[in-house]
Amino acid sequence: MTRQLRVDWPACHGRGLCHELLPEIVELDEWGYPIVTGPVPDALRADAETAVSSCPRLALRLVKP
Amino acid sequence: MNAPPVPYPDEIRVHPGPALLAGIERGPSLTAHRQQYGDLAWVDVDTLLELVNGVALRGRGGAAFPFARKLETVAGRARRSRRPVVVVNLSEGESASSKDAALALTRPHLVLDGAVATARALGATEIHVVLPAERAFAGRRMREAVAERSGGPPLLLHTAEPRFVAGQSTAVIELISGRPNLPVTSWRPDAVSGLDGRPTLLSNGETWAHVGLLVLQGGASFRRLGNAAEPGTALLTVTGSHRLPHVHEVEYGARLRDVLPDDAAGAPALIGGFHGSWAAWPTVANARVSVPGMRLLGVPLGAGVVHAPGPSVCPLALSARIVAYLAGQSAGRCGPCLNGLPALSAAMDRVTNGHGGRARLEELAQLVVRRGACAHPDGTVRLVRSVFAALPGEVSAHAAGGCLRTPEGLAS
Repeated sequence: MTRQLRVDWPACHGRGLCHELLPEIVELDEWGYPIVTGPVPDALRADAETAVSSCPRLALRLVKP
Repeated sequence: MNAPPVPYPDEIRVHPGPALLAGIERGPSLTAHRQQYGDLAWVDVDTLLELVNGVALRGRGGAAFPFARKLETVAGRARRSRRPVVVVNLSEGESASSKDAALALTRPHLVLDGAVATARALGATEIHVVLPAERAFAGRRMREAVAERSGGPPLLLHTAEPRFVAGQSTAVIELISGRPNLPVTSWRPDAVSGLDGRPTLLSNGETWAHVGLLVLQGGASFRRLGNAAEPGTALLTVTGSHRLPHVHEVEYGARLRDVLPDDAAGAPALIGGFHGSWAAWPTVANARVSVPGMRLLGVPLGAGVVHAPGPSVCPLALSARIVAYLAGQSAGRCGPCLNGLPALSAAMDRVTNGHGGRARLEELAQLVVRRGACAHPDGTVRLVRSVFAALPGEVSAHAAGGCLRTPEGLAS
């Protein structure tokens, strides 16, 4: 099943690791906060899980759309 | 903290109305309330669901979410898991909205009866009542009303912080939990998992008052007002050139212009409050009070706030002041809102002062919308976009360095 990356905005401090780890679907805005550009394709599922677990603020989750 | 463009009132003009506000001249006491309506009957969840479904009751906090769906979700979760909680949210963080304060002043027991009947039906053993900080007179009246009652689940009082976003549902639940009164990310609806993870039925004062009236009087008298598609009434807060906010109860289908001040004629009005939309006069003049009808016109009713500043106020300058205020009211915890709203405010100033920058405004709007824990960025963007959608003539005048209104309107 397709998943979506969701940002916990009050928790996010714009460290940008998610963009480093998953540039395919995470861009950064002009202030350094993530812009999730679309759902997580199956091929990127493992990378997305890494991005979630590597976020220093634990501000990312994979959710059902 | 920056001052709101429409000041918080220290007094409210509440007009008698056909349902919630019928008989308010008898005063807000429990004795007068019981004389008018009799005792509050016990109803079970199925009866309550039938009552609210029978009149298609919608939440009056702005989103117009069907109350029955919330009630059903909470009741379903409560049967399977944990004891539910009922919350009465009277915290109206928006200074231009005064309807819940009006109910606290004139109809506190109708609001409380709605919450008590629902709590009993759900087996909830506590009701939290959240009072507004910046309208102490209304909070005092509600405290007196709570002290008048005995029996029923305990009514626990809280006071919200004087901040625009303090009334957002997740912020209210944070306050009750003993944490800062600020919005947090909601991973599941409150009705599923709210206060301490319990199913939580949180509604504003007007919604609870309608529930109270339904339990006290039944659905038939409710359906006598309004029309078949939208039975009943709605509360509107009207502000403008007059000093005090006026709260009116109107039937669905009524003409909006009938409750506006005389000098509103011919001028744009802001509908739905600071998170709402501008409407040009022809739209205002033809609008009838209706949730789907006003959505179709592109000016959702929201929580029933109508600000009609009259012909001498420039809607662009006023919008710029509102956006600056809203930027200052951000809780400052979500990056896109913290950074984007001040930038949006600066861009709105440039457009208002004829320095261009409309493309930048839309770029910023796209950067903040739906990127926060609460509706604050989205509502701010709705207001900004409505200026361009509804008032192209005013926008062109400003782009050319002028203004369609008097120079006073530009002083900001």
